[in-house]
Amino acid sequence: MKRLAIYSIIRKDIRGITVNTRLFASIWIVPIIFTVFFPSIFVFSIHMVPDDPDFIKLLEQFPASLQMESTDLSIIALIANYILPVFFLMIPIMTASIMAASAFVGEKERRTLETLLYCPLTLKEIFHAKVLASFLLSMFVSLSSFLVMLIVLEVEVFFLMGSLLVPGISWLIVMLLIAPAISLIAITLIVLGSAKAKSVEEAQQSAVFLVIPIILLFVGQFSGVLFLGNWVLLGLGILCAGAAFVLLLQSMKHFTYEKLLK
Amino acid sequence: MQAITIQNLSKTYETGKEAVKNLSLSLEAGEVFGFLGPNGAGKTTTVKLLTGILTPTSGTCRVFDLDPQTEANRVHAVSGIVTEHAQMYDHLTAMENLMFYASTFGINRSEAKKRSETLLAEFELTDAKDQKLASFSTGMRQRLSLARALIHRPSILFLDEPTSGLDPENAQRVHQMIRKLASEEHIAVFLCTHQLRYAQEVCTRYGLMDEGTLLVTGTLEELRTSTFSGQTLSIRADRLPAGLPFVSCGDSFYTTSIRSEQEIPDLIRTLVAQGVNLYEVSVKKPSLEDIYFALTAKQTEGF
Repeated sequence: MKRLAIYSIIRKDIRGITVNTRLFASIWIVPIIFTVFFPSIFVFSIHMVPDDPDFIKLLEQFPASLQMESTDLSIIALIANYILPVFFLMIPIMTASIMAASAFVGEKERRTLETLLYCPLTLKEIFHAKVLASFLLSMFVSLSSFLVMLIVLEVEVFFLMGSLLVPGISWLIVMLLIAPAISLIAITLIVLGSAKAKSVEEAQQSAVFLVIPIILLFVGQFSGVLFLGNWVLLGLGILCAGAAFVLLLQSMKHFTYEKLLK
Repeated sequence: MQAITIQNLSKTYETGKEAVKNLSLSLEAGEVFGFLGPNGAGKTTTVKLLTGILTPTSGTCRVFDLDPQTEANRVHAVSGIVTEHAQMYDHLTAMENLMFYASTFGINRSEAKKRSETLLAEFELTDAKDQKLASFSTGMRQRLSLARALIHRPSILFLDEPTSGLDPENAQRVHQMIRKLASEEHIAVFLCTHQLRYAQEVCTRYGLMDEGTLLVTGTLEELRTSTFSGQTLSIRADRLPAGLPFVSCGDSFYTTSIRSEQEIPDLIRTLVAQGVNLYEVSVKKPSLEDIYFALTAKQTEGF
C-alpha cells in the first residue's frame, strides 16, 4: 500500500516536469553541451591540430596502459577516461536541481502541499518519494546522455581515426556508483532546502549558490582521483553511497507538519 | 468507539495568539457536528490539531483512538479532509487528480477508476472529468475536493468551510451530500462553518466557538433551552388583545413570550373570547443565529 503511494508521488512529480515542454527541454541543454558539443570539439581539435612535441613528451610520462596506437587516440582516450567522467558527476546534479528545488516549496506555492500531507504516509516517506523522483529523473538523463556521448564519440573517432574507443572500467564505477551517490547527496540537500524555503526562488538560489558550488568543488578534484586507480574509485564510491544513505535517513528527523507548512 | 475525543486542548502560536483555549468535546460516529463561529474563532486550528498538522500547546485529542501527534498518517488513513488551503493539481484533469489521491491511499488502479467515476457522477462532475483543473470554477473545485476527501471511504470527514464561495444552489447540493453521507454511510462529520443558517439544516449537534473558547455544545433543542427561557408566539389579528402581554410588531402582528407550547391553547381561547379576529398563529423558535448572537452578547457582557 505504501509502496503504491510512494510510487504514485514519484510518477506525479516526474510527470509535472515532463508535461512542461519548455522546462523539460531546458533540463537537456546542459547534458547535450557536455556530452555532444564538448567531446566533439575535443575530437575535432585533436584531429585537426598538428602533434605538439611537448604534449607527446607529456604523454610518454603516462603509464604504458594509457598509450594507444596513435597520439591522437591516446589523447582522446585520456580525455574520455579522465575528463569526461567529471561531466557525469555534474549532469545529474544540475538536472535534478530544478525539480528538487521546487519539491516542497513548489507544492506549497500551488497550495497542494497540505493535501499531499493528508495522505497516509509519514513525512519521511513523502520526503523519500520527493528525493527519489528527482534522483530517478536525473539518472535517466545522465544515463541517456552517456549513451548519446558514447555513440557520438565512437562514430566521430571511427570516421576520423579509423578505430574505436574502449571505455575504461572506471566509467562503470562512475556511472553506477559515484555519480548516483553524489547526486543523491546533492538532491537530498536541495529537497531539504526546499522544505525550509519560503518560495521556489529562495530554494533555487540556495541550490545554485550553496549546494551545487560546494559539490562541484569536490567534483573538480575528481580527474586526479581517477588516476589513483579503480580500487580507490570504488572505495570512494562506497563511501559516498554510505554518506548519501545516512543523509537520506537522517534528513527529516526534526521536521514536523507545522514547520513544513509555515 | 468515539470518533473524536478532545480534552483541555490549547494552541498558542509563536506570535502569542491563543487560537484555541482549553477545548474539550467529543463526537460519536455518524454524528454531523457543526463547529460554528466567526472567522478567527479557532475552528481551522482545531481541525489542524485533530489531523496532526499542528502540535498542541497543551491538552490531548484523539481520532478513533489514534493520537494525531504521533500517528498522523494513521489518522489521515481514516479521515477525509477538506480545507481552504488543501487544493489539487491544476495541470491534471479531475479524473487524474482523483486517481492520484486514490493511489496515495494505496487503492489499486481499477478500483480507483471505479470509485472516481462514481464520485464524479455523485457530485455532477462527469462531464468535466477530462478537463484540467485550471479551467474549473470555485464550485466545481469545491465539489471535486469533497470527492477527493471521500475517495478512500473515510470514517470521519473534516470539512472546513466546504461551501465558502459557492452559490446557494451548489451550497445546497453539498449540504444534501453531507446529510446523505452521515445517514447512509454512517460517516462522522466535523463541519466548521460560519454560515449558521446552512449548519442548522445539516448538523445533528453543535459547538459554538468564539475567540478560541467553546461557548456551548448540544443539539439545537438543548441550545435553545439553555440559552433562552422560552419561545415567541406570534399572531396576526385585527386589534391588540386587551389584558394580555402582547406587543405590536406592525402590520397587525403581535408577539408575546411563552415558556412552553402548553400555554398556547389557553391564550387562543382567551383571544377568541375577547372577540379578536385571528388570521395567523405561529410559534417562533430561536434559530441557531439567535442562539449564537445571544451567547456572544452574554460573553461580551461578561467582560
